[in-house]
Amino acid sequence: MFSLFYGLYKYIFSKTEFHVLILGIDKAGKTTLLEKLKSLYTNVEGLPPDRIVPTVGLNIGRIEVPNSKLVFWDLGGQPGLRSIWEKYYEEAHAVVYVIDAACPSRFEDSKSALEKVLRHEDLQGAPLLILANKQDISDAVSADELAQYLDLKKLDERVYMFEAVSAFDGMGIKESVEWLLEVMERSKRTEMLRARAGAAGPASA
Amino acid sequence: MGILFTRMFSSLFGNSEARILVLGLDNAGKTTILYRLQMGEVVSTIPTIGFNVETVQYNNIKFQVWDLGGQTSIRPYWRCYFPNTQAVIYVVDSSDTDRILVAKEEFHAILELAPSSAGDVCWKKLEGKGRQEVYPLLPSQNADFSHLTYEQEEELKGAVVLIFANKQDLPGALDDAAVTEALELHKIKSRQWAIFKTCAIKGEGLFEGLDWLSNTLKSGGG
Repeated sequence: MFSLFYGLYKYIFSKTEFHVLILGIDKAGKTTLLEKLKSLYTNVEGLPPDRIVPTVGLNIGRIEVPNSKLVFWDLGGQPGLRSIWEKYYEEAHAVVYVIDAACPSRFEDSKSALEKVLRHEDLQGAPLLILANKQDISDAVSADELAQYLDLKKLDERVYMFEAVSAFDGMGIKESVEWLLEVMERSKRTEMLRARAGAAGPASA
Repeated sequence: MGILFTRMFSSLFGNSEARILVLGLDNAGKTTILYRLQMGEVVSTIPTIGFNVETVQYNNIKFQVWDLGGQTSIRPYWRCYFPNTQAVIYVVDSSDTDRILVAKEEFHAILELAPSSAGDVCWKKLEGKGRQEVYPLLPSQNADFSHLTYEQEEELKGAVVLIFANKQDLPGALDDAAVTEALELHKIKSRQWAIFKTCAIKGEGLFEGLDWLSNTLKSGGG
């Protein structure tokens, strides 16, 4: 009897854990975003932007919202380090792609790196959130302008959104997280990952 | 009252402490790194049998740095030092491509608590307080373990990992991306890691690594 109730309790109150990859070329603001997420959603004070150094590895941010847990993986974006991105694709529920909207000279680099990400089969069906970051800088382009500039083909079947944010002052961050949660909760990819975890569980036990 | 002020003082000007293990194969440069960090000098070292421990004060953090010997016969004892560790610095001789595979295996054995390829010792630690001070060091010492209890747990849980791709000054040294690949760092998914190119004898890269460590430990670690 107890186990029945316990099962029910767990069913109702257990939180789904989502893995979100934060990608983008170097200097896009990925780690600043991660630290801002920590400040906004946890009681850990994230690092102030001036103390953040280029990432050469993996930073992790864990946040909890009413029904879910989110684990953010922030990977270094320097050209030599981008080769490890794909090693994390398989387990990711969604991708956040960060672009420095105030630096048009690097849009091309951003675009080709993003296209490479999207071509990878391990990320099939993963929702994509493209952030036009650094909106606190006056000459940053808007989300629409960035979308036009990137002119991404083959996005049709993928759930995606462009959002203007500032990881520096927090603009647009909460909206971004809400969108992510909403699409991840009902995405096919989440179902697929859950099924795979379920299939692997008993077999490995 | 005094305690209150002490607490306030330390939270304002906080000197937090962190216990760091420096691990890696023999001849990777662990001891050179330790003394370069601590004294800013290059000391001539001999292979470490046992360990060196020093305190390094940096960025308001007191790092208690344990440099453990890396020879095959001592590696099984690394795990005796895992409890209460906040970070592991794993040092790789980037020019020793012959042994990079061994370096990889030992590295993942540390993180997964799998038996070292060099053999296995039981978990032995003292009951109660002060347990980290006294440990068996060498198989040859034949220490009396009767007062020790056996325990097996995820002692490195939450510890962050800093990799030093050392000896960058030597010809044929692999760069950070190549060492990342060779060590299969991408397999780490539940703890934070970073890799830095270092040259311990010139002092390059070491404090960049400590910067990362202190930032990471301050922003909540693992």
